[in-house]
Formats: sequence, structure tokens, C-alpha cells
Amino acid sequence: MTSVKTFAWLTLLLPLAGCIVNALGYRVLRGKLPGYVGTAVLFGSFVSAVLMLFSLQDLAEEERHVRAVAWDVMATTGFDGELALLVDPLSVFMTVTITLVSSLIHLYSVAYMGGDRGYARFFSYLNFFVFSMLLLILAGNFLFLIVGWAFVGAASYLLISFWYRRETATAAGIKAFVINVLGDVGLVLGTFFIFKGTGTLDYLGSFEKAAEISQGDVTAGCILLLVGAFAKSAQIPLHTWLADAMEGPTPVSALIHAATMVTAGVYLIARMWPLFEQSASAAAVGAIVGCLTLFVSATIGLVVTDLKRIIAYSTMSQIGYMVMAVSSGAYVAGIFHFYTHAFFKALLFMAAGSVIAAMAGVQNIDKMRGFRGAMPFTFICFVLGGLSLAGVPPFAGFFSKDEVLAYVADRGDWHVALVVVGYVTAFITAVYTFRMIFRVFFGEPSPEARELEGGHLHHADVPRNPVTGEEEDTDVGFPGPEHHIAEQELPMRIAMGVLALAAIAAGWLQIPNVTEALDHFLEPTFAESRFHEELHPSDALTFGGLAIGALCGIAGIAVAYLIWVRRPEIAVRMRERFAPLHTLFVNKWYADEALDRLVVRPAAWFGRFAQQTFERIVVNGLFVGGPVALVRAGSAAVRSRQSGFLRAYAALMVLGLAGVVLWLLLLG
Amino acid sequence: MTIHLSLILWLPAVAGALALLGRRAAGWVAFAGSLLALAYSVLLLADFDAGSGALQYVTDETWIEQLGIHYKLGVDGLNVALILLTTFGFTACTLWAALSREYPAQFFMWMGLAHSSVLGALVAQDLILFVLFFDLMLVPFFFLTGIWGGPDRRQAILKLFIYTLVGSLLMLAAAVAIGINSGSSLDGTTFVLSELDRVVLPEGTQRWIFLCFAAAFLIKMPAFPFHGWMPDGYRNMPLPVLAVFSAVLSKVAAYGFLRVVTPLLPDATADFQMLILLIALASILYGSAMAFTTTETRLILGYSSVAQLGFITLGVFSLDDDGAQGAILQSVNHGLVVIPAFFIVGLLAARAGGSSDLRDMGGTAFRAPVLAGLFLVVALATLAMPGSSNFVGEFLILFGVFESKIVIAIVAFTGVVLASVYMLRMFIRSMHNRVGTGVDPRDIKLVDAVVLVPLVLVIIALSLYPQVLLDKGEETVPGKVQAAHQAAEGEAVAGR
Amino acid sequence: MSIGWYLAVSAFIFAIGAGGVMVKRNPLVILLCLELMLNAANLALIAFSRMHGTDDGQVFALIVMVVAACEVTVGLGIIVAMYRRRVPVDVDELRELQG
Repeated sequence: MTSVKTFAWLTLLLPLAGCIVNALGYRVLRGKLPGYVGTAVLFGSFVSAVLMLFSLQDLAEEERHVRAVAWDVMATTGFDGELALLVDPLSVFMTVTITLVSSLIHLYSVAYMGGDRGYARFFSYLNFFVFSMLLLILAGNFLFLIVGWAFVGAASYLLISFWYRRETATAAGIKAFVINVLGDVGLVLGTFFIFKGTGTLDYLGSFEKAAEISQGDVTAGCILLLVGAFAKSAQIPLHTWLADAMEGPTPVSALIHAATMVTAGVYLIARMWPLFEQSASAAAVGAIVGCLTLFVSATIGLVVTDLKRIIAYSTMSQIGYMVMAVSSGAYVAGIFHFYTHAFFKALLFMAAGSVIAAMAGVQNIDKMRGFRGAMPFTFICFVLGGLSLAGVPPFAGFFSKDEVLAYVADRGDWHVALVVVGYVTAFITAVYTFRMIFRVFFGEPSPEARELEGGHLHHADVPRNPVTGEEEDTDVGFPGPEHHIAEQELPMRIAMGVLALAAIAAGWLQIPNVTEALDHFLEPTFAESRFHEELHPSDALTFGGLAIGALCGIAGIAVAYLIWVRRPEIAVRMRERFAPLHTLFVNKWYADEALDRLVVRPAAWFGRFAQQTFERIVVNGLFVGGPVALVRAGSAAVRSRQSGFLRAYAALMVLGLAGVVLWLLLLG
Repeated sequence: MTIHLSLILWLPAVAGALALLGRRAAGWVAFAGSLLALAYSVLLLADFDAGSGALQYVTDETWIEQLGIHYKLGVDGLNVALILLTTFGFTACTLWAALSREYPAQFFMWMGLAHSSVLGALVAQDLILFVLFFDLMLVPFFFLTGIWGGPDRRQAILKLFIYTLVGSLLMLAAAVAIGINSGSSLDGTTFVLSELDRVVLPEGTQRWIFLCFAAAFLIKMPAFPFHGWMPDGYRNMPLPVLAVFSAVLSKVAAYGFLRVVTPLLPDATADFQMLILLIALASILYGSAMAFTTTETRLILGYSSVAQLGFITLGVFSLDDDGAQGAILQSVNHGLVVIPAFFIVGLLAARAGGSSDLRDMGGTAFRAPVLAGLFLVVALATLAMPGSSNFVGEFLILFGVFESKIVIAIVAFTGVVLASVYMLRMFIRSMHNRVGTGVDPRDIKLVDAVVLVPLVLVIIALSLYPQVLLDKGEETVPGKVQAAHQAAEGEAVAGR
Repeated sequence: MSIGWYLAVSAFIFAIGAGGVMVKRNPLVILLCLELMLNAANLALIAFSRMHGTDDGQVFALIVMVVAACEVTVGLGIIVAMYRRRVPVDVDELRELQG
């Protein structure tokens, strides 16, 4: 018990310590020391998380819910806000995965960010980000869930606008932050509804009383929690920040969009299952939105030409699978997919970073060709990650995706429709993944690739912002001369190598009819769930699903090969044939425009109206000007009587006096 | 331990008077006085018995017997935290002014008097004494702004003076009316609050008295649409004065609601609850909208104060335990963040050639990482980022409103989102993006850090453990809104 | 002698003084007329004092004299200062205080 608590605190606080050391020591820590400090604390945190897992396994199954309380934070007038952690199989599993992937990303960054002038700052932010994420995962009550939730948002803002001289980066940062605050608001309001019914902020306490909350409150609460989840996990309609977030350095994309931030929503729904099971409609909203997102973002991924954005949309799509799973009661499947996705997606981002480095910061796949020979290691990693993402057996993504779809299908009714969309999207996924691979690595090598083959890295003569074409301000470090390291540094190779192995093998944790390790491990968390017993896909469903999944993946790869390698003219013909559809996809289904019209512009208009019209006319005119004018007019009237003639004053005085005397006389 | 409130109360004024003799060292004399008051109030907080809901450290002398006016001071859970905020805020700002070496001895004399008068308004337990100190607060600021203010100081201070004086007059009339009307039920006229508490005035009388008090407090805050004096005032006050004005004086108004209005006028409070809630809501939305359109950094903070005071008022008039507790906590929080925020505005203006306009700033972060880091903490605390104490305050306030008027709570949440827009906008446009023309990005000096770092550390410490303040208020604060809450509930029942 | 006569004389002198203040333009003369008015008041005070048989009125009269002396001193001082500065000594010209 105590050792679990100790390891939990240690896991949580090590990254914070790293953040503080790097922040305060930015002048003392020379060279790559900040990077090694940051990576070391993260590995420490990972080791501690593993030890926490083992000591939790030592406990009896029904005791695997350990609360660790530090002190009261908001214990007043009926609230019980403590700084508390909850360690149970779900949070431990998430913690272990996150610390592992994060420490590999840190390791990768040690080399990748080596030439940047904000090196210590970068690792400080990175450590802070992981700390926030762990706080979110390990929080034992709603209060600290919200705290972790918001810290993640703030950390993502810092990382996304890391190269803050780029206006595109700061704009993307503020967009991410504000949408995340919107999510926080949803979370807080949802918490209010739940608290109103249960009278406690503590997870375990409120889950026990979940049945006592009135139906309206629990539905409202859960839908508001979903708003929070959608904002973090970039689900429709709060997804627009994610693609812009690619302004951050590539390791940031790997960190935020693979293992951590975007999966927070999935965790939230899985964690709150006792509440969601009280409200079928809220759960349905989650499942449908997840399904919608996974399809829409896959279609966008099909046409986008920015390498990182393709991967970003594929992340949205994969998160959609997870949200759909956990909202349909397939909790373990959702978490399983989170876990495999963390590995192969981080790998894909890292490999993409390697390519982008070789392209001197350019991210447009139209300009990339034939990197296969120049970067064999990156190529292999990219292909392994891609196979896993496309769901080709026996890679990791294959097992997890099909478990998600099989379990959702087992719910029956309208859930079957979701599954159909899921399989269609699996096919699209394979197509866009290999579109990326074929266009970047195959074909005639581009000049940059040629240069690299000759053993020399390409350098742009004038560094430009890839989005706007504006010349970069290199003062803050980007893109410094020694920035482009491609795949040549050892730390990067280690990180990518480990992830590549994981992308192959991570799925073997849970193979139908062979092993159910994850099911057993997570059982204490989900044992009392309605769906724990109810959902058991039959063998026919499972293996039929596996077969369809594999078929979709391989067919997708074949189609991609046909279009982009064998007959490139098909791509052009298709684009002309389906021009309206293509426009729709390229413009990301006009979500940004809709958000702009519906929210941003009215708010800006209101601000302008207040500033230019209301303040001037009503506040300054009516409330300030009105009384002033009144006083002015009054005084002007009286002032004209002040002639300055002494004798006139005297006469007035005498007259007045005489009047008073006369009045007294007459009265008397 | 006996703690003499009169000592805390008059110490800063005496130190200010001594500062006149101090010449060169004037600032340090005044600072020493404030520091002593701060130390004494920390002692007070430590000694304060949170478990008892009664008034503590009471000083009660008859002052004007014929009118029943007492010199009565006392501390309870409602004002103990605000006293600490006041002494802390004034100490920080006096230190800032002393270190800047821009101000003569007379400046510190007025600062000392201002300090004492604010403390007086907080500890007074007699209605007339409260009114007296409330009005006295204005005098030092008249001179502080009128002499050392910006180019339009005359107009600014005249506006401020007239606005608040109108409010004060209404309040004086209301205070007298309370005393006279209650006198018939008590044995003789009295203005001691604890005595007045025992009388319930007829509802009609309560109503107009309520409106008078509300006008005075809403102007002082300022709340929309009574903020006409604010833009000019905020543009022209000297920064240390502005910081303390924004941090402390506005809170006295919020405090006044809880000390005087809700307990003495419960029925009227219940009647006008909706009106004040709507004013508060309008303040939040309007203040936020203005804050994200204006480019003058002083005004961004000014309008953000309007919005934040809107939240505090919302908490008070939720007439709910949580809301009231949150309102007091948020008062302290806002005071604590606004002082360093104004200090940073001063530092930014010094780097942008004296202009405090956002359009003249930009890109300071790279050469000034320490300043950027401190600013980031302050900005995040100001936008009530979860994990900060401001969030705890806002959480309690919004839950209070959520329980009593759910629709208003939901609309008020827009203010939370907008706060993140305007604070981040200010941070990004001053710290990030390209370096502005004419900007000289340099990091803060040790002299500045001496003021700024402790302020930021206090924000962080309170964020980790806001419980320390919540505990103090637990016994007293909810009681202040109980009568009004019952009145509102009764009304709701009758309305059905 | 009845009090009426005293009061009549007092009122007459007062009226002369008041008329002078209103008509004359030279400040010196105005001061003289003011003096007349004050002395008229003194007369009335002393007459009432006699009538009531108390000393109060006389005390008042003495105080008025002291005030009058002060006033004349200050007034003359101002007039002399005006001569020195070559300001026109005419109350109709001196109207800077007009609104």
C-alpha cells in the first residue's frame, strides 16, 4: 500500500523536478545537459511507474484502488477538495505507457533539438507537459482532474508556440489554449452537475453514488464531460486546433498527438464509466461523435499535402476509434488501442521529423521524393509504423483496431452502423498512410535526397516559414544551422528503434483466443461494469472482423501502390472527377470557417461594438457626459448673474435684505 | 495574545507622517511602517481563532455618545484575509515606489494615510466609522493621482472624485437612515453593526437603503455601467498607486456588501438579487470584451478587473455559502495577481520606450526569460487557470451561482473563456512574435526582482494551499448571507 | 425720549450709507459710506441696550467698532496698494471676478 503511494508520488513529481531544475538552471546547465536531465527524470519516472505497477499487482484484486492524499486544498462548505491521487490498474497502465513513450521522445529530442537556442526551455516545457499529463491520469478526484486537464492545455500552448517569433505558431498556440479552456469549462460544469447529485468530488465516492444522481443531471453532466473530452481529444467540432498545432517542433507533435494529450478524452470516458453507464444518451453522443470524427478526419488525411498534418489527421481518426470504443462500453479495447497507437504514432512522427529535418524544415510532400535510399533507417521505421497504423497483421494496430470494432459490433443495434464506418475508414487509413510512404520514399530522389545520399545535409539559403513563406527570425533558435540532423544521431536511432519494435509487438499483449493479459490486468477497474460480462464477441465475429480488417488494410495498401507508384495519372484523374469532394476535403470540411463565422467573428464584433460604440455613446456619453452637461448648463445660467459690478451686488444685497425684513413685517 | 487593532490601523499613517521628516529615506521609513503592519497582521492571522465565529480583538470605545457612534474595531473570518491582503499590497507597492526613487516624501505620507484608511474601512465595526474610512480612502488618492499622475491627471481625478463622492453621499444617507430607523427598536440610536444586526427593518425602507449602498459599492468596484471613471483613472494614476488601488480598494466595496448589506438588509437583498446578478454578469461580459479589444495594457488589466469584480459580486449575490466563500477568496486572489501584473506593465513600458500600448511591444521573451516566466505565471493565475488559487475562488463562486441561478452560471462561464483570450493576447503580443520597433528587450534587474519575485512566490504558495484562507472564513462568511438566502428562498416558495 | 426716534435716526444714517455704497464709484468713498452704515447699526444697538437696561448692546457696539477699524485698515491698505500699482481706483473697472 505505502509503496504504491510512494511510487505514485515519485512518478508524478520527478518530471516536475526536472522542469524546475531546467527552468531555474537555464544559465548553469551547459550544452546538452538540460536534455539529459530531462530524459533522466523521465526514465526515472518510467522505472518508478513500473515499480508502482508491480507493487499494485502484489495487492489483492479488490484492494487495487489506492488513494494517496497529500493535503486539503478546497475543503470547505461541503466540498472535499483534496490533493489526492488514485492508483488503480487503469491509471497505472496509462502511466506506464505514457512515461515510456515520453521518455523515448525526450531521448529523441536530445538530438533533434540539439541546435536550438531554447534547448533548456524546451526540456523544461516538455517535462512540465509530462507532469501535467501524469497529474491528469493519476488525479484521485474531479478537482485535480481539472487541474491536470488545464495544465496539459497550458503546456501544449507553450510547446506549440515554442518558436514564438513565428506568428503562425503563436496563433496556433492561442487557438489550442482557448479551445482547451472551452473543454475545461465543459469539465467544470459537468463536475458541478455530478457534484450536485453526489456531494463529493472524489472519484470512488461519486461513482458509488452514481445511481443517486437524477437522470437529467447525469445526462447533462456526462455530455459536458464529453465537451471536455472532445476539446482535448480533438473530436468534432472542437478539433480544429490539432492540425494547427503542427507548428510546434516535431517531438512535440509526437508527444502531444501520440501518447498523451489527445488520449486524455479517452481516459476520461473510460475513467467515468460508472457515470456514462447511467446515461445511455450521453454515451451514444460519444460513440457517434467518435465515429463521425474517425471518418471525417480520414477523408481529410487523404488529400492534405503537409506531412505532419497527414499524421495529425490520422491521429484524430484513431482517437475517434478509441472514443467510439470507450463510449460503447468496450473500455479495454479502447485502452488497448490507445496503447498500441501510442507506439506506432510516436514512431511515425519521429520518422516524419527525420524527413523534415532532411528537407530543411519543408513539410510539403509534393516536394519530397525518393528518400528510400538516403534514409534507410527512417524508411524502415516509417513503413513499420505505417503497417501498424494500416492494421496489417501481425502488427500492433491490427489487433487493437479489430478488438475495438468487434466489441462495438457486439453491442448490436445501431452500433453496427458505426462498425461499418469503422471498416471503411480502416481502408481509407491504409490508403492515406501508404500514399504518404510512397510519395516520400519512392520515386526519383528529390535534390534534397540526392544531397543526403552524398553524405551532406540540405540547407535552405534563407530559412522560411513553410506555411506563410515569410522569412524566419532565427534569433530564438529556429532553424539554426546544425538543426537538421536527419537520422544520423544515436539517441534518435535508439528512440525510433525501440518504438519500431513496439509497433510490431505491442499488440501481442492481447490476441483473441491466445492471451487476454490486458483484460485481466484492467479487470479490477471495470469489473462492476454492465458491459464487462455482457460484451463477449463470438469467435465468428472476432475472426470475421480480423479477416475483414486485414483485407481492408492490404487492399488499401494495394490501391495506394496502384495510384501513387504504378499509375500516377490516376491521382490526377480522380481529383478532376471528384472535384467538389476534393475541395471539401482539402478545406477540412470547412470546420475552421464555420468556427470563425459562428464564434470568433461575433465575439470580435461584440468587442468592437463595446469598444467603439457602446463605451463612447452610453458610458462616456450618457453616464459621464450627461451629468457633466447638466452641471455645465446650470452653472452657465448662474454665472451670467456674476457681473463683477460691486455696486450691483450691493444693491442686490440691500434689496434682498429689505425683502426679508418686509416679509417678516408682513408676517408679524 | 492580545493584538491591538488600533496599532495596526494607525501604524502606516504614523510612519507616513514620519516619512515627511525622513527626506531622502522617506520611502524606507514608510516601507518600514508598512512592513511592521504586515508583520503584525501575519501575527494576527496566525493567532486568529478560525473555529470561533465571533468578533475577535475587539476595541470598543464610545466616540460620539449623543449619536451613538462608537470607535469599534474587530476582526472575524470575513475581514482577516483582506487585512492581510491590504498590508501585503501596500507593503509591496511602497517598496516598489521607494526603489524607483521617483517620488518625494509627501508621496509616502499619502500612501501611509491611504493604507490606514483602507485598513480602517476593513476593521470598522460601526457603520458610521465604516462610512468615514470609506470616504477617507479617496482623499490620499486624490493627491497621489493629482500630483504624480499622467498627463490627463486633472480630468481623471476629477471624474473619479465626483463619481465616488456621489456614491459616498448616497451611502452616508443610507447609513444614517439605518441607524435612525433601527434606533426606535433598540434603546436609543446606535450605529454599532452587531447591534443593528438584531433589527429587521421594514421591507420598503430596506429597499431604498439597499439601492444607495449598492450604488456606492458598484461605483467603487467599478461595475458595468458605472465604470465611466475607470479608463481615465487607470491611464493616469502612477503605477504603484494604481496597483494598490486596483488590488485593494475595489475589494473594500465587495467586502462592504458582505459586511453591511447582506446581513442588515436581507429582504431587499433577496428582492434585488436578480438585478445585481445581471449587473455582475454584464460586467463580466463587457469587461472581457473590452479587455480583448483594447491595446492599452493598463486598460486590459482595468477591464479585466471589471470582469473579475463581476465574478466576485456574482459570488456574493448567489446568496450561497460557496459563493460567499469564493467571493472572499477571489478578492484576495485578484488583489495578489493584479499588483505584479501592473508592475510588469511598468517594466514592459520601460522596455517599449515608455509606451504601455501593446502595438509598441513584442518579442521581449528571448532576451528576458525571467521576466517572461514571471509574467506567464501571473497571466495564467489571472485567467484563473485550474491549479491556481484564483481557480478555486472562481470554482466556488460559480458553483454558488450554479446552485441558485443555473442559467447565469452557464453564461458566466463565457467570461472564463474570454479571460484566457485577453490575458494570452497580452502575453503573446508583449512577449512573443517579432521584436517591436523601438523595443529594448532586456531582462529584469535585481531591484525589480526584489519586488516581483516575492509577489509571484506568494501567488504560487497560495495556489498550492488555498485552504489556509478558506479555513479562516468557514465559520463566519456563510453566516453573512444566510438571512438573505432564507429571504430569497421564502420568496421563491411564496412565488410558487 | 421714545426708542422710535433713535431708530429713525439710525435708519436714516443707514440709508445714507447704503445709498452711498450703491451710487459712488470711488472705493475710498464707499469705505466711508460703509463706516456710516456700521455706525448706524451701533446707534441702534446702544439704543436697544438703553431700553433693556443691559450692557449687551454696548459690548456688541464695541466689537463692531473693532471690526470696523480692522476693516478700514485693510481697505485703505488695499486702496493705497492700488494707487501704487496705478490700477484705476474705480469699483466699476475692478470686475475681474465676473463669471
